[in-house]
Amino acid sequence: MNFGYTDEEERFRQELAVFLDKHLTEEIARQNWEDKGVGPEAREFSRKLAAYGFLGMGWPEEYGGKGLPPAYDFILLDELGKRWGAHVPLDVGYTMVGHTILRRGSEAMKKEFLPKIVGGEIEFCLGYTEPNAGSDLAAMMMRAEDKGDHFLISGQKTFNTECHYADYHWLAARTDFSPQGTGYKGVSLFIVDMDAPGVTVRPLWTMSGERTNEVYYDEVKVPRERLVGEKNKGFYYMMEALGSERNQVFVPSRLRPVLNMLLAYAQETRYQDRPLSKDPVVRRQLARAAVELEVAEVVADHSRWLEALELPMTHQPEMTKVMVSELEQRLVNAGMRILGPYGQLEEGSPWAPLGGRIEWYYLHSFMTTIGAGTSEIGRNVIAQRGLGLPRG
Amino acid sequence: MDFRLTPEQQMLKDSARDFLADHCSSDFVRQMEQDRRGFTSELWAGMAELGWMGLLIPEEYGGIGWGLTELVVMAEEMGRACLPGPFLPTTLGALALAQAGNEAQKQEILPAVVSGEAVLTLAYLEAGCAVYDPLFQAATARKQDGAWLLEGGKLFVPDAEASHWILLCARTSGSLRDQEGISLFLAPRAARGLELRPLKTIAGDKQFEVSLKEVALPPDALVGEAGQGWPLLEQLLMTGALAKCGEMVGGAAKVLEITADYAKERVQFGSPIGRFQAVQHHCANMLMDLESSRFITRKAAWSMGQERPNPMLVAAAKAWVSEAYRRVVSLGHQIGAATAYIVEHDMTLFSRRAKAAELAFGDAAYHYGQVAQRLGL
Repeated sequence: MNFGYTDEEERFRQELAVFLDKHLTEEIARQNWEDKGVGPEAREFSRKLAAYGFLGMGWPEEYGGKGLPPAYDFILLDELGKRWGAHVPLDVGYTMVGHTILRRGSEAMKKEFLPKIVGGEIEFCLGYTEPNAGSDLAAMMMRAEDKGDHFLISGQKTFNTECHYADYHWLAARTDFSPQGTGYKGVSLFIVDMDAPGVTVRPLWTMSGERTNEVYYDEVKVPRERLVGEKNKGFYYMMEALGSERNQVFVPSRLRPVLNMLLAYAQETRYQDRPLSKDPVVRRQLARAAVELEVAEVVADHSRWLEALELPMTHQPEMTKVMVSELEQRLVNAGMRILGPYGQLEEGSPWAPLGGRIEWYYLHSFMTTIGAGTSEIGRNVIAQRGLGLPRG
Repeated sequence: MDFRLTPEQQMLKDSARDFLADHCSSDFVRQMEQDRRGFTSELWAGMAELGWMGLLIPEEYGGIGWGLTELVVMAEEMGRACLPGPFLPTTLGALALAQAGNEAQKQEILPAVVSGEAVLTLAYLEAGCAVYDPLFQAATARKQDGAWLLEGGKLFVPDAEASHWILLCARTSGSLRDQEGISLFLAPRAARGLELRPLKTIAGDKQFEVSLKEVALPPDALVGEAGQGWPLLEQLLMTGALAKCGEMVGGAAKVLEITADYAKERVQFGSPIGRFQAVQHHCANMLMDLESSRFITRKAAWSMGQERPNPMLVAAAKAWVSEAYRRVVSLGHQIGAATAYIVEHDMTLFSRRAKAAELAFGDAAYHYGQVAQRLGL
């Protein structure tokens, strides 16, 4: 049993910390965190990360990586998270799509996309959810007709975040319309240029000020080489990738800055001649959050460790997802209670405490138990895969 | 990072599970709740034969000299079987002697602990203190005519009657909640002036009130230096908290097994109830509480054996696991429903022990306080 890091891993962490403290500005961190959306600064930071050798640690050397264990990429995510970075700037490609290309893509596809993903140059957006296929994702209806050398795709996607700045759509669409092809069986994955004729992106603004999108396809021609792996296997590839995606997207360390901010606030803010931190209720709330964060970290570490050793992952990444997202909600709720009436003040308002960050995070936190699968679906998965309870 | 047990730890765990399956059935556990002593000599001798009481005792005194990681791994099996008896108090007493005892104390008692001949316990809490607070030490010890004279009382002392020796905390200087001035003494249970009164507890375990009326102990009954006992006591309590966390993890694992099996078999509305989302969500919550409890407990135990230990993790573990185990037994009862509420059902063993374990060595509220302090609040 060992819960620590090797000397090499620690050395990498320290070098990375020095780099991030210098180059990861608040502006970039916030572009990263979706509330501002990736702009030129975040893209430049992405290329710099790669140039300094901090991207691609766990990727194969033939595609521009360093061939090291996945632990290094997790350290990168942890260190970004501690600094409000949340994830690498172009994270859909790097933490999600790229791994499936590596596993299932043709050699030509790997050569075309992986070096650019590892180099921090290109970004993807996920094209899964549809108006009538949310939690029941296998009900998707987007049509991709096989025309031999290309597919002709029509239909609508929704809540596709990042599509307004991504270079490519990672699109799931139905390719089998026979009675055998219903549900998860007849779905395929494609890589589509975002500027392909017939693709229209329209904004949907969320209550925390982040942008997500509706994406319309009107007879979009997608070359056959952009079909990922085998036809009609797309849903299987999506599920196969899910565990690793959860491990990389639900990073407990990103709650550290929130907790630290609240700890400092409680110590510096006085009421009735003593700091708020002497109030028993405030103490309990902050201690509880700190305990939950320790717990979430070791739960996430376990799931990551399974992934690193290529051991079977069943319910563990889902557990990480549910626990980290619900902890986030409890933490910012505690924060709002501690801030009292000042909690309602937005960034830029007179008297806004902590730069309005808790107010923003509070609004954002409504999404965390929904996005990438609701907590309820998560619990079904945990009960069914973790305990063998019967499917509905 | 490696979450696996070493082959030695796995062997220890497997042999503990086999032994307890043979010697500690739930019928036996129920019987022992009614028994005055709370365990049998056969059980204790069997545990000694497997070397359990020597787990933390250095090899030079006949023990195995292992660490806290092994202790929590063993404790998981003990919690799973609801093992009755004085394993943990004896282990803590022995640890106190191994850490701070004089050579004569070690030579006399440690090998006897290993062989199963000596049972020990630790007496540190007191009546008159409304909350769990190990710094509240009102019992006094003063030097008189070359002997130590102890006066006062202790409460919640496990297995005091079955013990041959009691590690007593008493104040040799300072005022009520000072760290400075707390001392530990090794007293024979049969010492004159030391009286026991049994308590009746939720878990049917054997706890006692110990009253001390001019208990005279020889000068060499002192364990460690006079007035300097707090760091030792603190270490013993952290060890106890970790072991309790291990017990709770083992208990939670068994409760979830019972519950998931039941949810798969029990048919209502024409379907196993485990197919219903409400039941699945309860079970998923139980699994999350179980696994998170196991990982944080093992990590905290591992950390305490490192060059730079992190004691905050111990408090975090005891706070988290205490609450998580209570949630697990509550949901287990909810799914097991009326059947699991009947006294013959094993669930009732676990839910009562969950509360006892939650309270032992400080409940969640106490440990949140410890965490707050260590966060600098």
